[in-house]
Amino acid sequence: MEEKFSMKRRSFLKLAGAAGVATAMTAFPFRNMRAAWAFGDHPQEQLPYRITKRVPQVCARACEADCAYNVVVGVDPATGLERALTLEGRPEDPVSNGKFCIKGMGFVDSMYDPDRLMVSLKRTNKTKGTDVDPGWIIMKTEDAVNEIIARMKTYKPEEILMASPGDPYTNRLCQSIGCTRSDQRTECFGTHYYINCLTLTNPPNKFYSSCYTPSHHVCGYDYDTCKYQVWFGFDSFSKCGKAGMLNHWAAGKRNGGKIVMFNPVRTPMTDNFASEYYAIKPGTDLAVALAMINQIMAGKKYNKEFMTKYSDGAALVDVEKQTHLKTADGMFLAWSVKNKKAEPIDECDDPALDGSYTVTLDGRQIKAKTVLQLLAEATKTYTPQWAAKISDVPAKAISKIARDFAAAAPYALIPTYKRDAAGPNYANSWRLRHAIQILNSLAGSIDHEGGMLLLHDVKIPWIDEISPPALPYPEQPSQPVDFRNEFPVTDDIYRKKDFSAPGHYGMVGWGLYKTNRAKVAFFRNPHRGLFAMIHSQMFEAASQKLELVVDWNLYLDDLGYFCDYVVPAPHQFEEGKMDLRLYYPKYPCIVGGSPVQKSPGDQIGWGGFAMKIGLAMAPKYWTTDGSGNPAKKIPTNMGDVAVKKAGIADSAADFMKKGGFWIDKKAYQNYKQIEQIGYGKPRGRVKMYINEFAEVGHSPLPVWHARWHETTGDYKFSLLITRAPWHMHADPNFINNPVLKEVTVRNYMDTVWINPEAAAKLGLKEGDAVILANDPTYMKDLPRPQKAKVHLTKRITRNDCVLLFHGIGHRAKNLKVAANFGYRDGDLIPQKDPAMLKKFDPTGMGWVEDVFVSIKKM
Amino acid sequence: MKRYAILLDDTFCTGCNSCAYRCIQEFRYHDQASKGLFRTFVQINDDGLYQKRCMHCLEPDCVENCPVKALTKSEYGPVLYDAKKCIGCQTCVRVCKFHVPQFDADTKKIVKCSMCAHRINDDKKPACVEICPTGALQFGEYEAMKKLATKTAKEKKLKLYGYEENGGTHLFVLAKEDPVKFGYPKVAKKALKGKAALDGELGVPALAALAVVGFKKYSERRTRLETRTEKEKK
Repeated sequence: MEEKFSMKRRSFLKLAGAAGVATAMTAFPFRNMRAAWAFGDHPQEQLPYRITKRVPQVCARACEADCAYNVVVGVDPATGLERALTLEGRPEDPVSNGKFCIKGMGFVDSMYDPDRLMVSLKRTNKTKGTDVDPGWIIMKTEDAVNEIIARMKTYKPEEILMASPGDPYTNRLCQSIGCTRSDQRTECFGTHYYINCLTLTNPPNKFYSSCYTPSHHVCGYDYDTCKYQVWFGFDSFSKCGKAGMLNHWAAGKRNGGKIVMFNPVRTPMTDNFASEYYAIKPGTDLAVALAMINQIMAGKKYNKEFMTKYSDGAALVDVEKQTHLKTADGMFLAWSVKNKKAEPIDECDDPALDGSYTVTLDGRQIKAKTVLQLLAEATKTYTPQWAAKISDVPAKAISKIARDFAAAAPYALIPTYKRDAAGPNYANSWRLRHAIQILNSLAGSIDHEGGMLLLHDVKIPWIDEISPPALPYPEQPSQPVDFRNEFPVTDDIYRKKDFSAPGHYGMVGWGLYKTNRAKVAFFRNPHRGLFAMIHSQMFEAASQKLELVVDWNLYLDDLGYFCDYVVPAPHQFEEGKMDLRLYYPKYPCIVGGSPVQKSPGDQIGWGGFAMKIGLAMAPKYWTTDGSGNPAKKIPTNMGDVAVKKAGIADSAADFMKKGGFWIDKKAYQNYKQIEQIGYGKPRGRVKMYINEFAEVGHSPLPVWHARWHETTGDYKFSLLITRAPWHMHADPNFINNPVLKEVTVRNYMDTVWINPEAAAKLGLKEGDAVILANDPTYMKDLPRPQKAKVHLTKRITRNDCVLLFHGIGHRAKNLKVAANFGYRDGDLIPQKDPAMLKKFDPTGMGWVEDVFVSIKKM
Repeated sequence: MKRYAILLDDTFCTGCNSCAYRCIQEFRYHDQASKGLFRTFVQINDDGLYQKRCMHCLEPDCVENCPVKALTKSEYGPVLYDAKKCIGCQTCVRVCKFHVPQFDADTKKIVKCSMCAHRINDDKKPACVEICPTGALQFGEYEAMKKLATKTAKEKKLKLYGYEENGGTHLFVLAKEDPVKFGYPKVAKKALKGKAALDGELGVPALAALAVVGFKKYSERRTRLETRTEKEKK
């Protein structure tokens, strides 16, 4: 009996065990309670909104990546009305690769910002100021425009300042009137633009009407395949948000590329993308760059092929006159080692890269050296040990970085534009920018895959090209209010080569305040306005004496409270677009955008506004025959011409019907572009030796110079400035967004950041209220100390600096979210006396961070 | 239906918060976000980036404790929330070890990620994953994401969070340092429970092997006992 039972039990147990295993192998859960329902039944499985259309667009005015995306339009579940809801990527776009950023999304919601300006405003109270009631009356925009034009006509051209970036319409307008154009992009792109003009390409060139394309650069960078990068302050917080670049940096990281970062701030970019990081002393990046040149030259580790064929490295320079030696028809001369004489560089038999020579030219015996020889001599004393003492970067590290950089060439790159250390942050930034251009040349990474990519084989012409002026433009003012005439190097480019050249916001406030050169200021600065100006209190004071101040803007913001008229501008999504892919120009590519909606108020587009002013004030330049007859307005259909010439569509409308996208994915031809647009002939080259600097008493090759001044007493904290990843300048499109305000506050980006050790020495604790002030020696007029709260953070990796976030600090009461939110960094940066400025900087740029402040508990 | 998970590689995150804003636009919850109530949010802390979002636990405490079953665990991964059923008792707020549900005092409802359940059926990734400019966020089948997480953690010597915390989740976080150091809540690890424990290449065969060995041992013991009994009888 027992035996029978145990057999049965054994069998039973085996059966149970097998059943258990079988059960375990099925999907049936043991203990988890999972609701089982048909998919789509649960409310969170249903679409939150219904899409009605997708409108292709190209981002503008958020940054210069100009990502292409679709604006998703649908039915808002809250209201039942159709509106733009969000964005969707366009994966075919080589810049964004289907990505977009928080700022782009912010633009979608800003179309419906209740504080958007819908009408034109005219002041009736003559007293200007943020806390003064302007006594606005509302006008029809057409009437406001006519009044503004009537008043502008009563002034001489030299009395009018157009504060605006260069664009096809503004360029035409200012040249046709003969008035000064000055813009705040000086402070972002100034040094980059001018050094590119002086070394890379003589503006204008065959690929674009202006070196100063709307994006302000001549190139993009091939982060994806670059093997070794050096970033001098390139990793600001704003870069943490740039989708059009982030996707390429991520690709580069996945491809094993290395990045060395120098920055006194440790951003999340630093944390996750830096192979090496050094907390460099602010304003000393130039020392490190010069030491890198020193090391590369000492070991002759430069890219020989590039130096010989694509640069002026072998070109002979008259040592006394500090100019390149050239043939009668303008070709650089080089020394033939084989033939022992000077020959045109492109035909030179075995050109010498170094050495001193005596050249007979036009009957004169000239002592000449090669550019590379001069570069070696100029940087001879800039050893890594020397640089280490200045910058706090270890000498060993500098040597290794120089070696590694040279070894990775031509897949070695130092990217730079906008507000990194080589942007116009310091009085020595223009030298750093020049040194960086030279380092990229030594690596041979200019116009090469894995390095700097040049725009090529595609063009969107500007108005002057499709409608050349019927007669020569009048002269520009000889005494412009921005004092650019004191800076012939950059003034020459502006007057003779590229009217879009940035200038000179670092002095225009000074000029408006100290002189009576201008009586009219017209701001075509949507979203930038007052905040674009450093030392804005100088403009505020000047505005009282200015007889006419106009702002064309999306919002009534702080600037508006100092204006006589404010005219509403359309939102960028309410305009058609056509754009090149400048941030990643590996392939010729054009993308287009269509308006998402009609502007809801009485807005006027800039093209229409400029045309009206032009026809009224300079009719000969705005009509096809110079007659001034409005029926013969000049054509301005740049988009139509661009696509037709490219052979991709009959018109811009046709291009959009076909999807608004064209790309020619042919292989990038290394060094082909520089041959076509560079300096020298018959083949163009990169020009490392800038003789234009020598003409104004500065060194034609970069040499060391310290910052504007040293610390003085309590004014010992170097001012560092960045932007939150979700803000663009002081643009209310973002800063008046309640969600973005919350994101800013939660990430402490409305506070002043300081290292905890430095804070402890000052007796500061987290959240303390402080006041930042300038040394009156350097902020002589209208100082305006700033009140803020501090945030103690190890992300500030040095004890001698503080970090401020740009763009907050609006005071305009009508901006319900932005008003009284934060401090104003620009108020701490002085406008510069031109007489002082030109001793330091022949480009005349703004030096936006060359300031030391005191910080005290309130 | 397949099960899904999100993998967050913190070493590619830059704190841009594009994920946060895309989520807001997808679910139209601007009002709540402007009050600081986010379904997902990246906090830039000194030692790293804390991306606060629902972990979609394998055995969610919120689901277990919700008195009205407003929170439910789907078959495919996300913990879903039915606002109509919610009575605003905030039990989920109290019991969630990751401090995820955020209570909106004005509407008396919570704010919480749904892993974009509405997009999954259309073969679309969650909106945050789709927009992430660096690819820090990835989305895929649960097993594949789990495997990728463990493989990447091993290869790149990264720390893995969300794998065993609270018995396992559908969100795996990879970071250079322990994410608790820069803001992620410290949550006790427990062996993966239920189906998750059985899932995977080794899970079922291992259990089967265990069962076979177990029964074999038991059978051998029975045989020994029977043999002894026989001997005693003799």
